[in-house]
Amino acid sequence: MPRAPLPEFSSSLRLKYVKLGYQHLVDNFVTFLSIPVMVAVGLELVRRGPQEIVGLWRALELDVIHILCSVFVIVFVATVYFMSRPRPVYLVEYACFKPPSNCRVPFSTFMEHTRLINSDEKSVQFQMRILERSGLGEETCLPPANHYIPPHPTMEASRAEAQLVIFSAIDDLIRKTGLKPKDIDILVVNCSLFSPTPSLSAMIINKYKLRSNIRSFNLSGMGCSAGLISIDLARDLLQVHPGSNALVISTEIITPNFYAGNQRAMLLPNCLFRMGAAAILLSNRRRDAGRAKYRLVHVVRTHKGADDRAYRCVYEEEDAEGHTGISLSKDLMAIAGEALKSNITTIGPLVLPMSEQLLFFLTLVARKLINPKRKPYIPDFKKAFEHFCIHAGGRAVIDELQKNLELSAEHVEASRMTLHRFGNTSSSSLWYELNYIESKGRMRRGDRVWQIGFGSGFKCNSAVWKCMRTVKTPIDGPWSECIHRYPVHIPEVVKL
Amino acid sequence: MGVEQEKTVIYDHRISTVVPATVTGNAVLHELTNMDLIMKLHYLRAVYYFNQSEITDGVTIADLKNPMFLWLNICYPMAGRIRRAESGRPLIKCNDCGLRIIEARCRRTLGEWLDVESSSSRWRLLVPDKVLGPDLQFSPMVYMQFTRFKCGGMAIGYSWAHVLGDPMSATNCINLWGELFSGNPPPKTLQLNNHQKKAENAATHVKVSPKPIPVKQVELIGDGWLAPNTRKMATNSFRITETKLKKIQPEQLKQVPTFVIISALIWKCLAKIRKSGECKMATICGYLTLPKCSKILNNTLKTSIVRLDSSAANFGLLELATLICKQEAEASKSVEELADIENGKSDFVLYGANLTFVDMEGINLYGLELKGQKPVQVDYSIDGVGDEGAVLVLQGPQRTNETSSNQERIVMVILPEDEIRQLCELLTSEFGIAQDLKINHKNSVTNM
Repeated sequence: MPRAPLPEFSSSLRLKYVKLGYQHLVDNFVTFLSIPVMVAVGLELVRRGPQEIVGLWRALELDVIHILCSVFVIVFVATVYFMSRPRPVYLVEYACFKPPSNCRVPFSTFMEHTRLINSDEKSVQFQMRILERSGLGEETCLPPANHYIPPHPTMEASRAEAQLVIFSAIDDLIRKTGLKPKDIDILVVNCSLFSPTPSLSAMIINKYKLRSNIRSFNLSGMGCSAGLISIDLARDLLQVHPGSNALVISTEIITPNFYAGNQRAMLLPNCLFRMGAAAILLSNRRRDAGRAKYRLVHVVRTHKGADDRAYRCVYEEEDAEGHTGISLSKDLMAIAGEALKSNITTIGPLVLPMSEQLLFFLTLVARKLINPKRKPYIPDFKKAFEHFCIHAGGRAVIDELQKNLELSAEHVEASRMTLHRFGNTSSSSLWYELNYIESKGRMRRGDRVWQIGFGSGFKCNSAVWKCMRTVKTPIDGPWSECIHRYPVHIPEVVKL
Repeated sequence: MGVEQEKTVIYDHRISTVVPATVTGNAVLHELTNMDLIMKLHYLRAVYYFNQSEITDGVTIADLKNPMFLWLNICYPMAGRIRRAESGRPLIKCNDCGLRIIEARCRRTLGEWLDVESSSSRWRLLVPDKVLGPDLQFSPMVYMQFTRFKCGGMAIGYSWAHVLGDPMSATNCINLWGELFSGNPPPKTLQLNNHQKKAENAATHVKVSPKPIPVKQVELIGDGWLAPNTRKMATNSFRITETKLKKIQPEQLKQVPTFVIISALIWKCLAKIRKSGECKMATICGYLTLPKCSKILNNTLKTSIVRLDSSAANFGLLELATLICKQEAEASKSVEELADIENGKSDFVLYGANLTFVDMEGINLYGLELKGQKPVQVDYSIDGVGDEGAVLVLQGPQRTNETSSNQERIVMVILPEDEIRQLCELLTSEFGIAQDLKINHKNSVTNM
């Protein structure tokens, strides 16, 4: 009996070393290949001696013109190569909105309000169950209009919320970076559900007196993954305009979107969405490279809207009683999984080390040609990234991704804790998560971060950042007062 | 005009909730003492009237709400909800649920409002008349209503469940909010005395003492914490000015407290009206001032019973007053022991079980200051009073150049409706008080 486990252990140990050896071999294949070549050349040189080499050189009979032409060709090729490389895009700094304590919504208050607003007992019970299992904490915040029974959404209140969250974040960013408003060249704002005229970007231009030749864009209706779409747009613009910087604002305005009806599929956003905003400063200026925090490496966008099921998965519509709400279909998790797979298929080759890609390729070939029933190989993304920021869309999303990507609890800690402290802040949640990682002192120079966002459409967007300087704690941000309390254990079901 | 017609005078009600600024903690419980549980069927209702001024003009609802978040951090049981322990004993779970805020507007000016003679229950429209239950888990214990008058004046009304604290506690608490609103930092020595656990588990059956007790056990109908009345109760308030006080207080009674004299006066009048009733027993109620005001939320009532051999109408004013002073039979302890029976499941009424006279002179009603502005008038009442009725003797508005012993008193009577009219007639005819039912606010305006 005691003997049986031992061979297993030793065999698994052997397997581990085999795996390690294989990974080192394949990842550094080129190095391994070039070593014998360089050794051979070196030996040959040593053997021949310097005199012979000089003699060989003379024999080529190169005159000045030949040398000049070769030098010219080399310089030309080098210039073309360097010019055609994309401009690096740096993330200089970012700031997240810290909700004030007078917007706080504890569980008990939310439940009490729901009971007073909703006449239908069943939907009250349903919302109670969602809240118990949601993974939210007692400090998430709703805008002042939602503290009324029933909520009191007006255009004025929505604008007030927008001004509060966006201007706080921008003021914070200006304070941290010393950015002059007149210096901003590109402005991209994304807010999915609130789209007034004039736009939120016009509101910002008005408040901060930005330049008249600013390039401003306002993205609305693009869902929770719009934050990365804005980053993508800013990056493309920074490729075209040299020596510029871009201010990206990601937010979601909650005030106008309270669902007052009883349809279960539409009640989820009421329970999960909370106030939040982030302001990000991107730049392609060389002088910012020294003080930038991150460099944008890749942005990969995947849109599954061509599939009808995916298109109708997150759908804003009116219910039978005429109340507008966002209906979430039952296939949401399955569709999210599929979108993620598509996204991974594109991003995998860009970021994974050679060893993982080869394994994946070989397993793919094996599945197609030899044995279709063989389990697909899930590449180990932990080798490609040190940190993961998964959109805190809900507990189910984080659980699903943790399972799919085989991540440990520490990797998804930033997402879970953001969901607990701030709720689902939609497109800005990725920035709160990044801020969590920095506040914990885990961000080192050279670390790679993967931000994954999901949104209506159905879209799955990824961004890969590389850290350029170690971030020292304590940092000033939304987590500064509570980071010492985290991580907290979030129970499966909270007793209300 | 009846109260019903007046309902449309107050319009544009908006309801919201205010919670503590920081998380109180997981499963923090505020234990209720025996005295708390005895008082649970009573509710305090107060309305503070503020004149239009620069201060009230510039105040928005956000300004009024913002200090409350810190305030509720300090007084966190106010934001909790009633739960029952496994034994069935009620307690407060401090789950940060919050207190309810109501905003409203009034079609009248403050002057017109205070002038209306027949709205003796005018304060009812400015304070929510809610009670705890039927859903105890979701019933706020404190409501506040902010009503804006047409002229710009403001009324701040609050409804306070007696189970949380007595009028002394409630007033101190609300005055603390006023301090925070005015920008003063909170005092450092505040604590909550939620460690006063109930007395040791009464394994033995407590003997009901043969002495008279000021409480009456009641049967509740349904789950709401409000005792039913057999007679329709109403309220009225009138002012006793200093000159009137001097008149009714002859030389021999100089050492007798003003409260006792007023109580004796009203008792005599009521005895005359209640010819068929007994009127031989009354409860005298007062509140203890704790040293250094360190403990905020508690029920520390001092109750005593006065028993007469015959109806109070047969006694002279001086005699009655002296008797009241002498017969201060301590009843508090036996009252507390009662609540231990069945672990808090029995329901009691204290105010109104006998005719109750409540000494609220020491309660600093006019201490609620909005950045230095004091209220021009305060209406105070208690709901859930039993059929025998209650009489509250309150501070009057303070004049700056007078000492507290000489200032006027406001008397709020909570009695069966038909008795009130007779009482007012009697007081006017015999003692010359209560003839000016119109509270003359114009004087107070000039003094502010």
